[in-house]
Amino acid sequence: MERLIEILEDIQPGVDYENSQDLIDGHKLSSLSIISLIAELEEEYDITIPAVEIIPDNFNSAQRIMKMIERLQEEY
Amino acid sequence: MQLSTLLLGGGGKSLTSLFSLVYLFVFLPGCIIVYTALPKKCKKYFLLLASYAFFWLISSSLIIYLILTTFSAHYFGIWLDRIGTQMRSHLAELPKEERKAAKAVCVSKQRRVLALAVILHIGLLLVLKYSPFFTTNINTLLSKLGVSVQLEVPAAIMPIGISFFTLQAVSYVIDVCRGVVKAEDDLFKLALFISFFPAIIEGPICRYGQTADQLWDCDKIQYKNLTFGIQRILWGMLKKVVVADRLNNFVTTIFDTDKDYSYGGAIIAIAAVLYTVQLYMDFSGSMDAVIGTAEIFGITMPENFRMPFFSRTISEFWQRWHISLGAWFKDYIFYPVTTSKKMKKLTSSARKKLGSHYGPLIAGAVALFCVWFCNGLWHGSAWSFIFFGMYHFVLILTGNILEPLVQAVNKKLHINSGWFVYRLLQIIRTGVLVIIGELFFRARGLKAGMMLFGRIFTDQRFEEVNEKVFDKLRLDTYDLIIVGITLLIVFTVSILNERGVCIRESLAKRHIALRWAVLYGLILFIIVFGAYGGTYAPVDPMYAQF
Repeated sequence: MERLIEILEDIQPGVDYENSQDLIDGHKLSSLSIISLIAELEEEYDITIPAVEIIPDNFNSAQRIMKMIERLQEEY
Repeated sequence: MQLSTLLLGGGGKSLTSLFSLVYLFVFLPGCIIVYTALPKKCKKYFLLLASYAFFWLISSSLIIYLILTTFSAHYFGIWLDRIGTQMRSHLAELPKEERKAAKAVCVSKQRRVLALAVILHIGLLLVLKYSPFFTTNINTLLSKLGVSVQLEVPAAIMPIGISFFTLQAVSYVIDVCRGVVKAEDDLFKLALFISFFPAIIEGPICRYGQTADQLWDCDKIQYKNLTFGIQRILWGMLKKVVVADRLNNFVTTIFDTDKDYSYGGAIIAIAAVLYTVQLYMDFSGSMDAVIGTAEIFGITMPENFRMPFFSRTISEFWQRWHISLGAWFKDYIFYPVTTSKKMKKLTSSARKKLGSHYGPLIAGAVALFCVWFCNGLWHGSAWSFIFFGMYHFVLILTGNILEPLVQAVNKKLHINSGWFVYRLLQIIRTGVLVIIGELFFRARGLKAGMMLFGRIFTDQRFEEVNEKVFDKLRLDTYDLIIVGITLLIVFTVSILNERGVCIRESLAKRHIALRWAVLYGLILFIIVFGAYGGTYAPVDPMYAQF
């Protein structure tokens, strides 16, 4: 989780990623940040994030992003 | 005589307007009565039959394209689902380290089938909607190159609503491929999702997961749904008949009938503003009628507008205007392009060199270009529509490029972007940019659009903005007062809705006398202040042609 928070802060600083639960719904992560985030996550965690996974439910908090990563890792 | 013209709004001869007499007083009540009389198990089949009857009445033999689209989406859905099921059972048998390679093989097969489905569906749309445009342009190119051969320009054969039901069918097939929804075995259920009669002319573009089950789980009509649905239709009628139709003479004269463009820039600028208001009132009013009709049958349709003129940026505007189309482009074009292998590689390397903002902007710009090219073309087969798309692409891209600079300037000048005045200026700027876009959208071709836009700056003729000219353009002071009051009512209700106040829910809790008084008041307002009869000409449903 620490590494994920680091990636998020590197992409878009100034957001409380530990506690925020509305990263997408609250417009805290822009669509450009999401494009960066996906590229970084795929590299870091050796996963493939298809377009279908880009929904608020998967990106609204760091915890949810982590959950998605774990699920995608499990799929292989 | 005049009242009958109101009831025949939208031409009245056909069902293409959900505000026409034949729809409101014959088709819809007929559907409600038969639907209520039928046993539960037959209701869904009746809705399907009613939807096909509706489409046949507005498109006659062109219904074949709806049937073909439905059969094709059904077949491809099942095919893709089978590949997915086989893949999952095959992967489950393999050791973990072999799954990735095996999955890639299956996904590749699925993608080939999906590509075939998309090519067939979008190809049919392209052939029917754009072949005259493409042929005309090829002929122009050939003559410019000095080639004497000219292709025969095919006649436009376009079933009403094809752009809407094609996108719905394509979204269903993609969603099945992605595993978002399961393929539908029941052809009739899928057919009802694609053809549901209120939404087939102008949308909203629904996803299978949003409405298919609701449509198929037909239940008896509830009193609350019936009254809420009627109220919503009347609300839409208020927007359409009182405002959109009242502005029609002025707008049509400036953009269509005044062939020599004899008016000055000031009147053209006013016409651009009024056309934008008219388009919003017509389209959002039609959406009220669609959502209201669906509500009567207990179906919740997605909203297509959320106070677009309160947007601070063009990007935000398109998240609030024609929401279902924007969401379609985002889910099926923007993200697939930006998350393609090449783009992801590009984003990773560009981010290291250009930083977190400009790095992903390259992939974002490519995807944005694809989205806005398709958006422009979707609206019509003419260069002015492609220009309309490119105009918004440039505006959104420029906004993204300048964002760090604006933030830096704001910081330096101690400007708080949350300040009311700052926000207001952003809203006004966005509104002006939208109106300029709509001017090109409405003009008779790109050349005419350029000419009209240029005249706003070169030949204003402010002296033309007087009562006499407005009277000549059939928009007198009385019309302006009615439009102003109605817009104020619509604006107030929109603000309350935005703040989570549901006026219909609050009204439902009041005494029955008050409820009916409000309903009758609304009907009376439409009858008294609606623009019908005399010299008024109702607007044809604007988005039906797309």
